[in-house]
Amino acid sequence: MKPACFFGASFVMTLVAVTASAQPPAEATIFEAVDNFIDTRMAEAQVSPAPPASDTTYIRRLTLDLAGRIPAVAEVQSYVAAADSDKRGRLVDRLIESAEFPEYMATRFDWFITAGNGGIRNYLSTAFQENRGWDQVFRDILLADLSTDQGALDYLKSRVADTDKLANEVSVTFFGVNISCAKCHDHPLVADWTQDHFYGMKSFFSRTFENGGYVAERDYGLVSYQTVDGDQRQARLLFLTGKDVTPEDLSEPNEEERKKAEARFRELKKKEEAPPQPKHSLRRQLAELALEDGQNHFFARAIVNRVWHQLFGRGLVMPLDQMHTENPPSHPELLTWLADDFVAHGYDLRRLIRGLVLSRAYARGSRWEGSQRPPTELFAAAIPRPLTPTQLARSLSLATTDQSQLDCEVPNGLQQAVAEAAEARNADRFDQPEDGFQIAADEALYFTNSEEFEKQYLHAGLKQQLLNIEDRRQLADNAVWATLCRAADEEELQLLGDYLTEREDRREQAIEQLIWGLLTSSEFRFNH
Amino acid sequence: MKLAEQRKIGRQDILFCMARAADSSRVFCGSSDFKVYELDLAADEPARRTFSGHRSYVTGAALTAHGTLVTCGYDRQLVWWDVESGKPFRRTIAHERWARKVAASPDGTLVASVADDMVARVWNAWTGDLLDELRGHEPLTPQHFHSMLYTCVFSPDGEFLATADRVGHVVVWELASGNPVATLESPEHYTWDPRQRRRSIGGVRSLAFAPDGNLLAVGGVGQIGNVDGLGGKALVHVYDWRRGERTHKFEHDGHKGLVEDLHFLRDGRQLLAGGGAQKGFLLLVDVERQEFVYDTEAPMHVHQLDLDLSTNQLIAVGHGAVVVWQMDDEA
Amino acid sequence: MSRNSFCGSQDHAMSRRRFLGATTTAAATMAGVGVFGDRALAQALKQKDKRVIMLWLAGGASQLETWDPKPGRPTGGPFFDTATSVPGVRISELMPLVAARLHRHTALIRSLNTENGDHGGGSVLMMRGRKNEPNLEYPDLGSILAHELGQADSQVPDYVSIYSQTEGRNFSKIGPGFLGSRYAPVQLTDRMGLENVTRPGSISELDHHQRADLRSLWSQRFARGRENEAVGSHATAYGRVAGLMASDRLFDVSREPQRVRDRYGPTQFGEHALIARRLIEAGVPFVRVARAWWDSHSQNFESHQELVPELDRVMSTLLDDLGERGLLDHTLVITTAEFGRTPQINPSLGRDHFATAWSSTLSGVGVNPGAVYGKTDADGQRVADGEVGAGEFFATIFQALGIDHEHELYVGARPIPLVNPGIEPIREVLA
Repeated sequence: MKPACFFGASFVMTLVAVTASAQPPAEATIFEAVDNFIDTRMAEAQVSPAPPASDTTYIRRLTLDLAGRIPAVAEVQSYVAAADSDKRGRLVDRLIESAEFPEYMATRFDWFITAGNGGIRNYLSTAFQENRGWDQVFRDILLADLSTDQGALDYLKSRVADTDKLANEVSVTFFGVNISCAKCHDHPLVADWTQDHFYGMKSFFSRTFENGGYVAERDYGLVSYQTVDGDQRQARLLFLTGKDVTPEDLSEPNEEERKKAEARFRELKKKEEAPPQPKHSLRRQLAELALEDGQNHFFARAIVNRVWHQLFGRGLVMPLDQMHTENPPSHPELLTWLADDFVAHGYDLRRLIRGLVLSRAYARGSRWEGSQRPPTELFAAAIPRPLTPTQLARSLSLATTDQSQLDCEVPNGLQQAVAEAAEARNADRFDQPEDGFQIAADEALYFTNSEEFEKQYLHAGLKQQLLNIEDRRQLADNAVWATLCRAADEEELQLLGDYLTEREDRREQAIEQLIWGLLTSSEFRFNH
Repeated sequence: MKLAEQRKIGRQDILFCMARAADSSRVFCGSSDFKVYELDLAADEPARRTFSGHRSYVTGAALTAHGTLVTCGYDRQLVWWDVESGKPFRRTIAHERWARKVAASPDGTLVASVADDMVARVWNAWTGDLLDELRGHEPLTPQHFHSMLYTCVFSPDGEFLATADRVGHVVVWELASGNPVATLESPEHYTWDPRQRRRSIGGVRSLAFAPDGNLLAVGGVGQIGNVDGLGGKALVHVYDWRRGERTHKFEHDGHKGLVEDLHFLRDGRQLLAGGGAQKGFLLLVDVERQEFVYDTEAPMHVHQLDLDLSTNQLIAVGHGAVVVWQMDDEA
Repeated sequence: MSRNSFCGSQDHAMSRRRFLGATTTAAATMAGVGVFGDRALAQALKQKDKRVIMLWLAGGASQLETWDPKPGRPTGGPFFDTATSVPGVRISELMPLVAARLHRHTALIRSLNTENGDHGGGSVLMMRGRKNEPNLEYPDLGSILAHELGQADSQVPDYVSIYSQTEGRNFSKIGPGFLGSRYAPVQLTDRMGLENVTRPGSISELDHHQRADLRSLWSQRFARGRENEAVGSHATAYGRVAGLMASDRLFDVSREPQRVRDRYGPTQFGEHALIARRLIEAGVPFVRVARAWWDSHSQNFESHQELVPELDRVMSTLLDDLGERGLLDHTLVITTAEFGRTPQINPSLGRDHFATAWSSTLSGVGVNPGAVYGKTDADGQRVADGEVGAGEFFATIFQALGIDHEHELYVGARPIPLVNPGIEPIREVLA
């Protein structure tokens, strides 16, 4: 690690300021708070951050994260050229307000909420367009059958057959807690999670069932389970916080009443009619409880952690579904601050995302010059992240478009034209990157030998555009701009120039190969 | 035709075959428990003697002119039994692989046996001498798996023997010369699934000559989609075997499974089929009108039928039961 | 309750220190979310070069018509048993070739009770040695061994699964689970070979290589200072392309002398077993050859009369062939399925699903040849002695390969032992 001379003056000042008081000022913005806590911990670890990302790197990263594609050459060049100190904020706002932002967020969120089972992408698209609060989205999903807006109903419908799994998936997705371990016995290390908690959570779902294609919920039904000691227990309605909302009079209907109710359900099933809503929905009770003051920290922390993970490549708590007292966050006060701030501002996702991407922590370079890269949890450098299928498919399309032909006369000019050019073809060919992602050899084979790939990307507009450029250096520079969103350096210009010179007799093919080399490089494949 | 079930004897085993002397109510049944059971179907308590000697499933039984019972089994053996004493007096390792059927000539002087060594052997019913070996069935199926030779039957005049195998190849042999005089192909009785399960099912399981000897009925199961089960239609072809032409095809939509036994009735005007899958069936065909005239579910998967024309009774043995029906002919 | 292991329960024991996310060392950081904790062990294994061929008798072969016959019993069916080259051990008469060489390489396990009699659940269980958890998908045996035994820069695939029949292919649910797509199997169904392995006609060999060099150069410049597991895997994936393209020849049986092909026989299963031998000979760590579809609910004896002799020929030829090439010293051949078949015979003369008392076999490296473990009762209805489950079977497989069955995988910080604690390998079948 380099000594102090490596740092800019501003960092030293911050260091001083931080040691004076480890808390951000009361009215701090999100990005100020983020940098405050991240820098503090780095200082404690005596780690200096990587230099900030260059303009070209920043706009590429941001466009990928907010719009799901690499930026167009014109977008990059205009950003680089802008001189105002506010240009970063303006860029962030432009992207968040674009039509692409809700679409891409819908795709990303649909994946982490549903993993392809009972997808709700269309619903999420609307929700993001309207910037619905995450608390509202939570209710829309969990209580779809009970609301007028049933857009997210597929989530429940696809999971209603197995309420154990549903309870755990809701717990993982919305509370960051995987309690499946606690099904058979108390979690011995985590006092938070006992068998009572597992069955407690399950209880909120136990009355939900499928009635002839409709999601239904009974007004009766209790969960009982056996402990490891063999005791038979009635499950309490117990939330993860430990709050017990079991009513005093847990009166269940007698056998006859139950049979009548079941018969009614069966009749409706036969008639293919929707069942009546329960008088008291336990699922609704869970939703309200999870958002209550004093109870909502699970909910808030889980989503903050998810969004952080999505933008930084690593959550403040890892793994994402192990948010418990024995697995502390890398930056406990930061997570608390962000969660409180999120709740206080109506669970506003746009606001949270905006705040995070404006931080210095987000805008760090990803290259580490020293010998020993610091632990990723310090966020001293940006983490290279493999592109998601959508990002990859859209970026391949845009990179191989002849961008000089983009029609900017449409409303919103350049951005709309670019959005259309960045078509997500065959995104399902690519794997979703999970934590610990490894790129499989058959992706490499596909990129290398597939005729489909060749036709779609190597014979596309970019090739035509490059064919029309006589000067080899200019050709090379254009190619690098289009694919890697930056200028080619001298070494690259030389290398590519030589490659082209050696292939005078097959210039067209040489250009295809050049494009190929760029598209298959790690620099293209990763968000860095 | 009307069938009225007269008696049903439940059993723990599977009865694959039976033999009954004409005008007798005594049947000899070959069992999955390796024994042969003598039952008197006219008696209140039908059980008589039990014959032990086979070392595996007893798959075929026939009575000779001399009143001896000959049985065959998966143990490759032919066993000759003295029906009075119940003791086997001759055993022959008749085949290299599993024996599937034994038949007696109409005059009872010959017995023929078939087995999965794909050879039909003709024996002197009295001395047990091997008289002939008839080879005309391929040992392997076209897909290179071991084949099976399931059934044989003598013509009414005793001059011919018909044999049939797994892939639907039927041969008619002239016994005097030992030569094949006709071959018929019925591949519809054999299902080979190359794609889903890569194995086969079916085969011709039953044969019957019409009384005039000209027609030969061939029974099994039709094409099957899912070879894990016997979900194909019960299928019978009838051939004018000398001309090598198929004259009739009978397949029943409502009854699935193997046609395990065939009998011509009423001078060849009708053809009775018995068999089954998980359930059993009986089917009656009017040969002239070329249609089914009667069908019923049988109480069990039927393996073999016998008609006692003296009492107008139909007897069936099969999976876990023996059943006797009274037949009422229609005018 | 002891806190040394995770609650001491059969279901999941995990060491406390690791679960709580022990401080990451520099090495662990470099590896990112490391999957295997003990790199030294993995290295040792790789040096020993172990291989596995699994013959997956999809649909459930009948143990009564193969490894554990009950001739003469009401449930025994019509086939005899036969003596083997191991005194006192008898198997079905349908397997004379294997019987004659049983003493050389093979151990039988006759006492499996895996409880799950449906194709899907049984397949998941028998390919992983355990059931999946609600939110955790375990890697199957092939993926684990691809990870353990495969080389990072291998020029051949790590895990190949050959399953040409359509029935049951999707029940089979194989896959790398939490190990990730790097360890996913190459799944061959109709065409024997990998996809996209032929250089497109539009590019010359020279250019194909040289554009790959361009790619590589750019990637190396990028990767400097940005090392992490994902970035590394990208380079690795492309590094393997040339080798994978070349390994397409491994799937081409016409490259084998006719006399070798004849030994394996004219059937598809034989051909696939020969491909498997070629693959492991070239260094592929794990090949599964599926022979579907044994699910003889009707006509069980006819079906087994057809399929068991084929298995007999293919398995005996494979063992002989591997033995002659000196490969059996470090190759394990497994026969198993999702379950066995009922002793009870139904009216269609079929046998139905049965997981209560059935058999599997192991042959080759680490195996005690001629060993027979476990007994079923006289009718094969229940295990009479030595009852074991999928976990014990897998523990035994790992031990035979020299892998410690208590070794832990990681999902993030959570340790996952290869088999659940308390489960021991079957010592009697191990050398």
